[in-house]
Amino acid sequence: MNMTIRTIRTGISEALPLAIAIAAYGLSYGVLGIQAGFGLVGTVLMSLLVFSGSVQMVTVAMITGGAGILSILVTATLLNLRNLLYGAALAEGIAPAKRWRWLLSFGVSDEPFVLGISRFKKYGPDPIYFATVAGTFYIAWVSSSLIGAIIGNQIIDPQKWGLDLAFPITFVALLVPNLTEKPIITTALTGAVITVILTVLFPGTPLNILVAGVLAPLVGIYLKEKNKNVD
Amino acid sequence: MWTNWILIGLLAITTYISRIIGIEVMKGRKTSSTLRLYFNYVPAGILSALVVSQLFISKDSQIQISFPIVIGGLVTALTIKISKSFLPSVIVGIVSGLLIRNL
Repeated sequence: MNMTIRTIRTGISEALPLAIAIAAYGLSYGVLGIQAGFGLVGTVLMSLLVFSGSVQMVTVAMITGGAGILSILVTATLLNLRNLLYGAALAEGIAPAKRWRWLLSFGVSDEPFVLGISRFKKYGPDPIYFATVAGTFYIAWVSSSLIGAIIGNQIIDPQKWGLDLAFPITFVALLVPNLTEKPIITTALTGAVITVILTVLFPGTPLNILVAGVLAPLVGIYLKEKNKNVD
Repeated sequence: MWTNWILIGLLAITTYISRIIGIEVMKGRKTSSTLRLYFNYVPAGILSALVVSQLFISKDSQIQISFPIVIGGLVTALTIKISKSFLPSVIVGIVSGLLIRNL
């Protein structure tokens, strides 16, 4: 029991910096949701049921721009493709939750993946940690969407407070300690190069991160296997 | 208005399906050592892709690099390498990014 409480406490404290940034993002989504004509209930309902910053932001932007349902669904599906990779990588760490995995899988997205996978790598499977992290983000996302939808345009500027810096900087802090051996460093560099190339060639494509995530580890494996043969 | 409800429902379903498929396919499966190694390297690839994708901001329909994020990221990387503590490094990184932005 003590162990569980400690895990929950760790989960909340590690999720908190990102949760604040998520809340700032949620506020903007709430405002944009109202402007796109979803109404208070629709704006909050989308956060409750979809729980995906990128999908919801793209949806309200596309609706405002006059896009149809089909094109929004296609874009959302492309954005969601990277969840397949996240789920596959997280499966072993979530599996002990048995049937509860159906609920936990609702939390599979960028930030819970990043925190969850670093935890699993260090301490092995830990569904309680994943549930805590995803739950913290869910509360932050839904409540800030509601507040954003209520206060409308009276919004603070996230840039002024540096909240837009929280995501990339937290991710850097999670990535750097892992860069201990050549294959992992090469994987990270390959991921970076692929993303730069794709961003320059196809700006704004939702597939960039998925392509980097699928291809970069192959370079790492190649290096690892090559070194093994040399040994 | 009803099209909005349908859209929300469809988005909820497709997003959830994308989340559960990966877990269902891989759960309880004995993974080969190469596949295990692959998933071991996925976080590094994804994390660096997520960081790099956020270095770029589109301004007046042109892609630009955000210097506050670049500098903040470098400071964070250096701080965590030396201090090995997570939260202080994040705070130092954000503060230095803010300083660059407001200087």
